[in-house]
Amino acid sequence: MTTEAPLLTFEAVSFTYPGRTAPVFQDISFEVAAGRFVSVEGSSGCGKSTLLRLACRLEAPDAGVVRFAGRPVEAMPPGLLRRRVSYVQQTPALLADSVRANLRLAFGLRVNKDLTAPDDDRLRQGLAEFQLEKVSLDQPARELSVGQKQRLCLLRAMLLAPRVLLLDEPTAALDRENARRVLEIVTGLNRAQGVTIVMVSHNAADAREATARIRLGGRG
Amino acid sequence: MTPQIIEIGSWQLAFSLVFVLLAGAASLVWHLGLGRTLLVGTLRTFAQLALMGYALVFIFRLESAALTLGVFGAMILAALQIVHGRVRERQVTLLWPMFGAMLISYAVVTVVVTGVIVGAKPWWKPQYFIPIAGMIIGNSMSALAISLDRLFADLRSQRDLVEMHLCLGADAREASQDIVRGAIRAGMIPSINAMMGVGIVFLPGMMTGQILSGVNPLAAIRYQIVVMVMLVGSTALSTVAVVLLARHRCFGPGDRLLLRAG
Repeated sequence: MTTEAPLLTFEAVSFTYPGRTAPVFQDISFEVAAGRFVSVEGSSGCGKSTLLRLACRLEAPDAGVVRFAGRPVEAMPPGLLRRRVSYVQQTPALLADSVRANLRLAFGLRVNKDLTAPDDDRLRQGLAEFQLEKVSLDQPARELSVGQKQRLCLLRAMLLAPRVLLLDEPTAALDRENARRVLEIVTGLNRAQGVTIVMVSHNAADAREATARIRLGGRG
Repeated sequence: MTPQIIEIGSWQLAFSLVFVLLAGAASLVWHLGLGRTLLVGTLRTFAQLALMGYALVFIFRLESAALTLGVFGAMILAALQIVHGRVRERQVTLLWPMFGAMLISYAVVTVVVTGVIVGAKPWWKPQYFIPIAGMIIGNSMSALAISLDRLFADLRSQRDLVEMHLCLGADAREASQDIVRGAIRAGMIPSINAMMGVGIVFLPGMMTGQILSGVNPLAAIRYQIVVMVMLVGSTALSTVAVVLLARHRCFGPGDRLLLRAG
């Protein structure tokens, strides 16, 4: 049992998709301490992605409470919550614009007005850290390979310096080499920068890097 | 010039049915299966317009503000039903907020046109108020259906992109602004295009009607110009109001996108 204060807490959380009667899961409780790398496991359709979406309020529970740093997420302004608890989608979503515009996108939003937009040098440094040194800032982002897009989305999320990264099967669509790169970056963010990671993955190699596991009972 | 109208007699009206028979023959020869629809459409045209004609004679004669505004309200309700039926959105309920937005935007434009531009006295004079309101409601009804269809379809198909914005801290407005812009544009473009083609590609119905009734074409074009610009204005107002309301309904507390695939 950890002695650190939990950063993310689920207290008896239940969730049912609108229009359905059977809940995806019921009475789920767990804590994630700061700095952990947690893998979410379970069969297909058991609600692993939903769990991540509940943590950043893209979904609302039927019952129970989700807390970030002790505060119920419903009590936090959604923009601020999502800046601290950053969800990276399974399929990389990018604007039909340059790599630069995609990386700076968050800094044009009202909630992030207090942040300074990174200059080109900082962005190039970020691209290098995420093994994208060959990518130009002027390049159309949608022309990148799937692996590059995934790393670009990770970098875009990290530019906001979140405390928790919620990763929804980040290696699912990648070949072995690209999956290894993504996992290497994610592990580095956790170990070197202390970013708390909660990651859904079907890949056993990904799960091996995790320091804790959440196992969901599937409905199949 | 004294307006002189050649009235269409009953036999002449009956003779016009030859065009429907032509269409029916085409349906038969080409196995289009449109015979029944054509028959129902023709019967409805005769019945609905005859009913409307008698109703208008009654309303014009009575000159009652309450009756005129009641007819206006009924026309909006009918348009609301048609738009609602055409859009077929099940996850977002929009009926009454949409009625409010339509009522306000149509009322503003109709009152400005009848009371200020045409200068009818009183401003609700049924002879002006009802046909002008009818044109406004009829035209922007299609614009609303196009805009709402586009809004709901794009929010669904671009759900990943909307949620990507939300995940970076965007609020519902920021996350959907391109989609909202696209939906409003889609609704407004037909009425703007109509301004481009009017007088060159086609002569609008109202102007044609006035000219056939013996009105000087120079007087008729003034009315038609007012009609064209009022349609652009009313389409813009109602489309913006209804699309913004619909967008508001598509997001839940915490800026969650409520629309789901299927």
